[in-house]
Amino acid sequence: MEVKLDKRYPLEVSIEQAWAVLSDIRATAACMPGAAVTEQVDDTHYKGTVRSKIGPAVMQFGGDIEVKALDPATKSMQMMAKGADKSGSSASMDLAATLEPGETAGTSVLVGAATVLVSGKLAQFGNRLLVPVSDAMLAQFADNFRAAAAAVPVAAPAQSATTAPTAEGTSHAPTAPAAPAAVSAPAPRPAPAPVKELNAIALMWTVFKNWIAGLFGKRA
Amino acid sequence: MNAPTDPKLLERKDALQGMGDSRLRKEDARFIQGKGNYVDDIKLPGMMHMDIVRSPYAHARIKSIDKSEALKVPGVVAVLTAEDLKPLKLHWMPTLAGDVAAVLADGKVHFQMQEVAVVIATDRYAAADGVEAVQVEYEELPVVLDPYEALKPDAPVLREDLAGKTSGAHGPREHHNHIFTWTAGDKAAADAAFASAPVTVSQHMFYPRVHPCPLETCGCVASFDPVRGELTTFMTSQAPHVVRTVVSLLSGIPESKVRIVSPDIGGGFGNKVGVYPGYVCAIVASIVLGKPVKWIEDRVENISSTAFARDYHMDGELAATPDGKILGLRVDVVADHGAFDACADPTKFPAGLFHICSGSYDIPAAHCSVKGVYTNKAPGGVAYRCSFRVTEAVYLIERMVDVLAQKLGMDKAEIRAKNFIRKEQFPYTSAFGFEYDSGDYHTALNKVLDAVGYKALRAEQAARRADPNATHLMGIGLVTFTEVVGAGPSKMCDILGVGMFDSCEIRIHPTGSAIARMGTITQGQGHQTTYAQILATELGIPSEVIQVEEGDTSTAPYGLGTYGSRSTPVAGAAIAMAARKIHAKARKIAAHLLEVGENDLDWEIDRFNVKGDPARHKTMKDIAWAAYNNVPAGLEMGLEAVHYYDPPNFTYPFGIYLCVVDIDRATGETKVRRFYALDDCGTRINPMIIEGQIHGGLTEGFAVAMGQQMPFDAQGNLLGNTLMDYFLPTAVETPHWETDHTVTPSPHHPIGAKGVAESPHVGSIPTFTAAVVDAFAHLGVTDMTMPHTSYRVWQQLVKSGVAL
Repeated sequence: MEVKLDKRYPLEVSIEQAWAVLSDIRATAACMPGAAVTEQVDDTHYKGTVRSKIGPAVMQFGGDIEVKALDPATKSMQMMAKGADKSGSSASMDLAATLEPGETAGTSVLVGAATVLVSGKLAQFGNRLLVPVSDAMLAQFADNFRAAAAAVPVAAPAQSATTAPTAEGTSHAPTAPAAPAAVSAPAPRPAPAPVKELNAIALMWTVFKNWIAGLFGKRA
Repeated sequence: MNAPTDPKLLERKDALQGMGDSRLRKEDARFIQGKGNYVDDIKLPGMMHMDIVRSPYAHARIKSIDKSEALKVPGVVAVLTAEDLKPLKLHWMPTLAGDVAAVLADGKVHFQMQEVAVVIATDRYAAADGVEAVQVEYEELPVVLDPYEALKPDAPVLREDLAGKTSGAHGPREHHNHIFTWTAGDKAAADAAFASAPVTVSQHMFYPRVHPCPLETCGCVASFDPVRGELTTFMTSQAPHVVRTVVSLLSGIPESKVRIVSPDIGGGFGNKVGVYPGYVCAIVASIVLGKPVKWIEDRVENISSTAFARDYHMDGELAATPDGKILGLRVDVVADHGAFDACADPTKFPAGLFHICSGSYDIPAAHCSVKGVYTNKAPGGVAYRCSFRVTEAVYLIERMVDVLAQKLGMDKAEIRAKNFIRKEQFPYTSAFGFEYDSGDYHTALNKVLDAVGYKALRAEQAARRADPNATHLMGIGLVTFTEVVGAGPSKMCDILGVGMFDSCEIRIHPTGSAIARMGTITQGQGHQTTYAQILATELGIPSEVIQVEEGDTSTAPYGLGTYGSRSTPVAGAAIAMAARKIHAKARKIAAHLLEVGENDLDWEIDRFNVKGDPARHKTMKDIAWAAYNNVPAGLEMGLEAVHYYDPPNFTYPFGIYLCVVDIDRATGETKVRRFYALDDCGTRINPMIIEGQIHGGLTEGFAVAMGQQMPFDAQGNLLGNTLMDYFLPTAVETPHWETDHTVTPSPHHPIGAKGVAESPHVGSIPTFTAAVVDAFAHLGVTDMTMPHTSYRVWQQLVKSGVAL
């Protein structure tokens, strides 16, 4: 089954701080509950895992991640992740994430659009839970992302200005292998947020809360 | 039979508990104590367990299968893939419909949950761990789920193994995803009727894919004895003898060394007719390992991969006079058969007996065409509690008659009475060539209309429709169906070339008790009870001392099994005929004992009386004893007989069903206020069991019409393969059933019985739809697709502008 997700998460950090995390695939993956990048294959290809536990069901997806585009000029990232779980499920996610300036200075907004395709047991069992579970997972992701971005030292404005020309030169290429290094090099790697496995109880509570709220016409 | 009035005779008759007696079911004592013996109860020494690796994709190429990690799992002894079965030529197997089906996916998967590999381990847990450790790499292919899409010129080729084959088992193939086109009736005559008819109606309708979902899933324990070269397989099979033949043909083991045992079966409903990959793999594994191997499906596997039913996209047309006399019928069906054509039908009928679709009506010209198509769904197309495709046929004609009535503004009972085959027309040959044996539709219809107060119900409905403040819509569904069961005459019906007879072998023991062995197999129908009753009446032996055995191919005579309501029409006749052979011999012995001529004897309940002197008699018990020590010269000792019954015709049970529903205009909730079911199954053997069969069939019909569905998403994921989603009604949802009957015996059946278990399923489904659609009929609605869940009905309320 296919789920389309369009999300906007306001961030209390500057767009540069946020970009430092978003442009680092390992750091971004670490924000996803239960996810980790386990291996870098080449400049744009990685291997990773996502582990989540919902009630008695443990799903461990292992698969490939391809960073399709990374554009410092527009602060946007496109990636494709595809994986399978041993118990007979497979999933893929096509994600486009962009950072926009926030309403006030020093803040930003993480805008994400994802198409998730799920096959096998996860689709069969989880179809009615897939949207609320995805919502809850992404909400946890956003919290972790905020924490990770907040840990990035505020960069000098000059740095971002110097990277801009580089970015323009590569923005038309489908992938920008040089760009991530160029961007993340000046900023020290943010302190990795503790990798949280998807918290089943908290997740179910969020799902339940949203469902109750939905009954009264207001989506959380 | 003339009922005796003498109290002494009555007492003797009642003591037999023969035909017509509501004898309590002999099976229930063990079932209600949890002492049934099902396949999963069978545990053999050294038994291994098998589990199956299944595809998460509906259509994909297999790039690689890595079993190395699985083989490292403690307890795993073997992993088999198509590559391992290839040298044995068992990676594909023939289906009952003349196609082939992959046993384990050979380079490509064609539906979600298709079998890709099997893991055999020393315990069930290790097998499951092994399944998780098998790594399969897939390359996804475009998925085709809609049969109309499948037939487009540029549709993906689903069956690459059939590339270049322009003809199949049932004639030419016109497209790479086309299986067959089958027609019946006279097209020219039907077209002529339509060309000149003053009134015509047409309606497209879809009968969705459903699953029989028996309480017990499928499974087997295969046990090959390498020393004796014998294969015994305990299996949930509705047709053990046919399976034995298939296993022998596939494995090369002589049929005499193959034994198939169907123990207690927890419901079949057509789901347990076919041979599934799991059986084949368990048998191969047992032969390879020399150990017993058990395979038991879980619920998700059962609903996802074993035989489904229906999935017919139907276009019906009726031609009629302005006053509602039907002149012609045309039907065009596109049938979604899934990935492999594995329908379980008599060989010559790829659409089963769908051409019973002229129903209970005298229609002079008719034609139907059924086109079978491959899609990326599980194979199947079995008769889910019905005779082959009869449910679809009855649904079509009953819905079409309603559509015609609505167009003409006629009452739905009146239009039926006008078109019924009249009592005096039987035996009646339909435009499709069926010879209906007997029926009295008008009497039955009037009985139902009187019982429910039909006129008052219609008046109430009219008042409800006139009231804009009414909170509920009211619908009345009426269905007057005829079924064709008891497949079947071997001149028309065979399975893999074996005629569809059935058999019985009876032995009367010296002390007057008896054993009857049958070629059928009960799955809840109560054969042990009812077969004994037929024998009791035929031979005057009490039911209590008659053992009925079936399901073990090493002891039972060859028979085609139990499905399509064929047990009573075919095997029931075989018992009566075998009993009559014994009866004839018993008469000879009685004449010898009484020293009179055979013609000087009268049969009376349980004994032969000398004509005019009933004090001189010999009971069947006396005769049984004599059969083993004092027979007339020239006669063999013993008292036994075998009969293989090849029916001269099908039987045609019928019924009149009426349903009243109230639909909540705010929520779409549809409540069944009343359901009245009159069935005519000819001679009634055990009225209590008939009642139970009808309750069960109505409840399953309710499930199909009101809740069961197998929805697929665009990727071919089946979103409804657990009992969380798939509707099995319990006492909470099930409405109250009112039952009634008339008795019109079959003239060609030895005891006049026609078969009943499936009529309530076949008849009730269109009745529910008719009732729901009838609630909207005044708003111009002529069709609503099942299941009629609250949400779907509410959508119609909104569409029709009557939602509150």
